Amino acid sequence: MTAEEEREKLLADLGRQARVVAGREIYFDWEGFLWDPNDWDEEVARILALESGLADLSEVHWKVLRFFREYYFYHGRAPMNRHLKEGARLSLGEIESLFPGGIRRGARRLAGLPNPKSCF
Amino acid sequence: MSDRLIYLDNAATSFPKPREVLDRMLQGYVEMGVSPGRGSYDLALEAEDIVQRAREQLALFFGAPDADRIIFAANATDALNIAFNGLLQPGDHVISTRLEHNSVLRPLYHFRERGWISYDLVHFDDNGFVDPDEIGRNVKQNTRLVIVSHASNVLGTVQPVKEIGRVCAERGIPLIIDASQSAGKIPIDMTAWNVSAVAFTGHKALFGPTGIGGLAICPDLDILPSRFGGTGVDSKSPIHTEAFPHRLEAGTINLIGIMGLSAGIDYIMQKGMESIHGEEMALLKRLRDGLSGLEHVEMYCAGNLSDHVAVLTANVDDVNPEDGGAILDGDFNIAVRVGLHCAPLVHEDLGTISRGAIRFSPGIFNTPEDIDHAIRAMASMSQNQKHGGGAGLRR
Repeated sequence: MTAEEEREKLLADLGRQARVVAGREIYFDWEGFLWDPNDWDEEVARILALESGLADLSEVHWKVLRFFREYYFYHGRAPMNRHLKEGARLSLGEIESLFPGGIRRGARRLAGLPNPKSCF
Repeated sequence: MSDRLIYLDNAATSFPKPREVLDRMLQGYVEMGVSPGRGSYDLALEAEDIVQRAREQLALFFGAPDADRIIFAANATDALNIAFNGLLQPGDHVISTRLEHNSVLRPLYHFRERGWISYDLVHFDDNGFVDPDEIGRNVKQNTRLVIVSHASNVLGTVQPVKEIGRVCAERGIPLIIDASQSAGKIPIDMTAWNVSAVAFTGHKALFGPTGIGGLAICPDLDILPSRFGGTGVDSKSPIHTEAFPHRLEAGTINLIGIMGLSAGIDYIMQKGMESIHGEEMALLKRLRDGLSGLEHVEMYCAGNLSDHVAVLTANVDDVNPEDGGAILDGDFNIAVRVGLHCAPLVHEDLGTISRGAIRFSPGIFNTPEDIDHAIRAMASMSQNQKHGGGAGLRR
C-alpha cells in the first residue's frame, strides 16, 4: 500500500474524505458536511452551492447561512426549529424551498455546520 | 399555526399522560417510595404489595398463567435482551420478520456475528402482513425461537399472532411477541394464542412513564438468568435465585415506574381498550383520508386500516422527511417522528431506506381538529414542491 493509499484508508476509517475546494484541502464527512466548521468561508459556500445546483446565492440565502453560523458559534449547537424560524425570519418551509438539499442537507451543510447525525 | 403543540408521536411515547396516572405515581412515591420487599418494616411490605398487585394485573391483562412470571425490565428492548440472553444457545436458529425494530434485529445480529446463532427473517406482503405459513416453512431442526413484532412501529399493521402461535405450537417452538406497539391497544391472550412470552413497554399505549417495561412468560419457557445480583431473598447464597420473578430481576426495582404502569392499566380498563383503539383509529382514518387527496404525498400500507394500530407513515415527494418533520414542528407546531424509526428493513422493503419517512401516530388526547391541522400542514408542504411527481396511496 502506498503512502497515499494508507492516508486515504486512514481518512476513510475516520469517516472523512479530503477534497480541494476553493484552492484548499478540506475534510468532509461521507454526506458532504464539513468536518471542521472553521474551514468554511463564503467561497466554500458558493462552490458547495454550485455543486448542489444553486448557481447564485441571493441575499436571502446568505441571511439563512449567516444565521446558522452565528447561532452555532454563539450557542455551540445548531438552532432548534423555532429559533431558526425566528432568526432567519422565514418559515421553515421557505428555507426548505430555498436550498436544493432542503434544510439539513442544503442550508445547514452550505453553512458549514457539522452533520447533525440525528437518529436516522 | 396552532398555539399549542399537536403531539402525533404516541408510537414513540404516549404524551401527555393521563392526569390520574401522574397523580398516583406522585402520591404513591410520596407515601411509600421505599425498597419494595427489602426489609421487615410495614412500608416495605406495602410497597411490595403494590409490585405484586401490578404483576397480577399484568398477568390478567396479557392472559399469562402465572403472575410470578411477570418480570419487570426497563423497557421492551431490555425485556427482549433478557429473553434472548437467557434462551439462545450456540447452534440455535431463530425465525423473525423484516418488520422488526432494532430491539430484535440488533440482538439477533450480535449473536449471529459471534457465530452463536443463525436466523431467517420472513418478508411481509404488500399490505404489511407476515404469512404465518411462511414462518412454518422457515422452521429448521435447530429452530429454537420465533420472535414477531405484534404491530409494526412503521406501518401499524397488526400481525396474525394467533395463527403464528398455532404454527409454532404445532412444531413445538416457543413464540415471543414484541408488543411495544400493541399492548394497551389490542387485547392479548398469550395462553389462548400459544405465545410463550410477551415483551412490553410501559411508556407507549400502557400510559406509564419511560423506564418501565417487562416480560410476561409462560411456565413452558425456561429463560436462564443473564444478570445477577441482589434480590432481597436468600442473601447468604452466592447463587442468584432460581425462583421467579427474582430469577430474572436483579437489583432494586423501578417502583415509581411500576406505580405508573399499574395506574396506566387501570386507566385503560376504566376507559376500555376497545374504546381507546376505536377513537385512535377514527383519527387515523381521518388522517389517511385527508392525505389521500393530496398530490405528492405517498402513504405506505394504509389502503386498508383493519388490523392496524394508529400509526401512519408517509412522505412528500421532494421533501426530505427530516426537513418535513422540522417544518411540521417549526411552522405548524406538530410533533411527529421522522427517519427510519429504528426499523431499517421495513424501509428497505418500502424503498425509503435512503431517506426514511414521516410517521404520524395520534393518541386519545388528539382531536379531529388536530388531524385536520396536520392534513393542512401536509397540504402546504406538498403545494410547495420544488418539482412535480407522483402521489397517492402506495400499496
